[in-house]
Amino acid sequence: MRKESIGSFQLFAMIVLFELGTALVVPIGLESGHAVWVSILVALPGGVLLVLIYDYLYRQFPDLPISGYMRRILGPAVGWPLGLLFVPVLLYNGSRNLREAGDLLISASYDKTPVIIINSIMVIAVMYILYMGIEVFARTAEIYFMITMVMGLVCNFVVIAAGLVKLHNLFPVHPGEWLEALRSAYPNIWIFPYGELVCFATILPHFKSARKVNKVTVAALVLSSFLLSFTHAIEMSVLGADIYSRTTFPMFTTITLVNVANFIQRLDAFVILTLIIGVFFKMSVYCYAAVAIAADLFRIRDLQKLVLPVGVVVLLSSFVSAENYPAHMADGVVFLERILPIPCAVVPILLFAVHRLRLRFKLYR
Amino acid sequence: MNRRGSSFLAAMLAAMLALTGCYNSRELNELAIVSGIGIDLVPGKEDYKVTFQIVNPKSTPTTVSPGSGLPAIVVISATDRTVFGALRKASKRATRQLFFAHTQLVAIGEPLARRGINHVFDIFERSHELRLNSAALVVRGGSAESLLQMLSPIESISSLGLVNKVENTAKVWGENRRTDVFGLISGIAGEGDITVNGVMLPGDIREGRKKSSLEQSDFKGGSIMSGLAVLKEGRLTGWMEGTDARGTQWLLDEIKETGMDIGVPGASGKLAVNIFHSSTGVRVELREGVPVFHVRIREEGNVSEAGAFVDFSIKEVMDQVQETLKTQTAQEVRQAFEKAQGMKCDIFNFGNELKRTHPQDWQKVMNHWDEAFAQGRLDLHVEAYIRSTGMRTKTYMGQEN
Repeated sequence: MRKESIGSFQLFAMIVLFELGTALVVPIGLESGHAVWVSILVALPGGVLLVLIYDYLYRQFPDLPISGYMRRILGPAVGWPLGLLFVPVLLYNGSRNLREAGDLLISASYDKTPVIIINSIMVIAVMYILYMGIEVFARTAEIYFMITMVMGLVCNFVVIAAGLVKLHNLFPVHPGEWLEALRSAYPNIWIFPYGELVCFATILPHFKSARKVNKVTVAALVLSSFLLSFTHAIEMSVLGADIYSRTTFPMFTTITLVNVANFIQRLDAFVILTLIIGVFFKMSVYCYAAVAIAADLFRIRDLQKLVLPVGVVVLLSSFVSAENYPAHMADGVVFLERILPIPCAVVPILLFAVHRLRLRFKLYR
Repeated sequence: MNRRGSSFLAAMLAAMLALTGCYNSRELNELAIVSGIGIDLVPGKEDYKVTFQIVNPKSTPTTVSPGSGLPAIVVISATDRTVFGALRKASKRATRQLFFAHTQLVAIGEPLARRGINHVFDIFERSHELRLNSAALVVRGGSAESLLQMLSPIESISSLGLVNKVENTAKVWGENRRTDVFGLISGIAGEGDITVNGVMLPGDIREGRKKSSLEQSDFKGGSIMSGLAVLKEGRLTGWMEGTDARGTQWLLDEIKETGMDIGVPGASGKLAVNIFHSSTGVRVELREGVPVFHVRIREEGNVSEAGAFVDFSIKEVMDQVQETLKTQTAQEVRQAFEKAQGMKCDIFNFGNELKRTHPQDWQKVMNHWDEAFAQGRLDLHVEAYIRSTGMRTKTYMGQEN
């Protein structure tokens, strides 16, 4: 079988869509009050460092996914079980995205549709794209990158044109608030959404031009960081810190306020589409990462065989993981603080350190 | 056809069923479109009486049919402890399911406003159908129900008419402004107090409900925008009226256009000045525990009418006119400020401004902000400019001797 490969722009588009994913629509970094846009930018350098570590490891082992070089670096006895632990974390995070999307869609628009219908349809779409393979996925990302950018431009333009932006909701940022911004940037925003890019450690082996990897990933990260910061700043300036901190879906509330000349209003559909597109890519990347790691660990040649079980597990765990949305959010806080940093930051940094040490002391045979 | 082909066909047909996207569908002829919501307090009880103004599609003329001649609106109401409960109980009286996505207006009866409205608006945030940018009004000395029942002569859907009325007067006269649910919620959640636009029903309420009353040139019902309701901690405590209301608007930087009658130097007539541009800058600081409000107003106007002889070509005269305009504006603003101080209601957003710019100073006064505001000092600077005198220079009247 021919090895599937993806180009620079395709990788770029995938990363941007993955980063925007749910982070664009849900409130992030709540603790930082009206300085959330600062937090997002403050977390960027840390995010870039992490991505450079992923890139370095990839360039050392260009043909292996993360579970592959984990066994090389740490030895099979440690690397294999550690790789296995990645699978449930990735699946759970994928299912969290699905759960959030389903709940937001129901409370924002599809009030009479059972959540199982919405979630199943989304999982079917994800399974289909994974079944078609990473190349098809990358091409889809290319197309949707354009669509998302155009929608984002339109939405931001109408919000500004409607005169809803009140800059006094953003400024001034006082010294104490800089500290708070820093605290919510590290580790929260650093891990979600930047650290989540660890998933791409399973996609990078398909990347065509290994030499360009740093440039592409960092550029994509910086762009998505600016877009996230800008969008959240707009939302914050429209809603004010109080409503922003209480809403489940700030972007939706922002867009419902738009009324340009009693003519352009009710642009909710754009936001719903943004949510669906973002979650689709985020979930697909998570599921792909889980599939790729599982396939690597259990030596399954054909990835397609794993797509169905992964899809079903994600679908079911999106229902059973939490009783209601508040419980889901509470779980999310614990998950984000206690568990997610391990695969996103701790393990890659550990791998990097051990690999450097082994190279230094010539411990590779 | 082989098996593969037929199973493919079956899958495609099944997909087509799902792709129509009808799961959440609600047909237009099964909806009752609510144009306005009124919320009142049931006397002697804790219940809300919620009134819905529903658009009657039959009476709306279309290109195919002229409309039935019935009133364009139907009003139904229901009572319950919660707004949502009343909303659903109204189904007992409605033939179609109420649909709220086009609600233009939320009216609050004065008794409810006096009891407090802080808890009324939660449903507007929580629901995805109700809109946060619906206009909000307090019905002065009356019930929201009677406001919504009132027919309106030019705009057939009276909720829409009321919103247009407030927007219209806000644009040219400036004593009122369109207050919306979003602004109310931000105001309640923020520091200080809020103002909500008031509306009065001066006419015959009973006549105003009848279609027949629309068939005469002087409509017996009708509503008039009247003042700004001052809400302290969500409770109606007083009204800003006339020039006080305009002074309030000035301090809030909400004046778009307005007219002022100012005295003429050395004559008994008045000059009408149309202010076409005004902007207000506010800075708040704490000096030895006393808040000082630095307000800078810059207004520009045209002379629209001169009720006495004025020679505008003389620079000194123009300066004098500008000076009068300036002092009169300052007087209105000061009056509004002092009235608010008397009520101990910071309706000018000063608390939010102090909190935003000087959070540490805010900490010192946040627990007794009402008192601190009442003792605060207004440092007012007005700049007034007359830009033009219209199509004429001097008046046709000669100088009185």
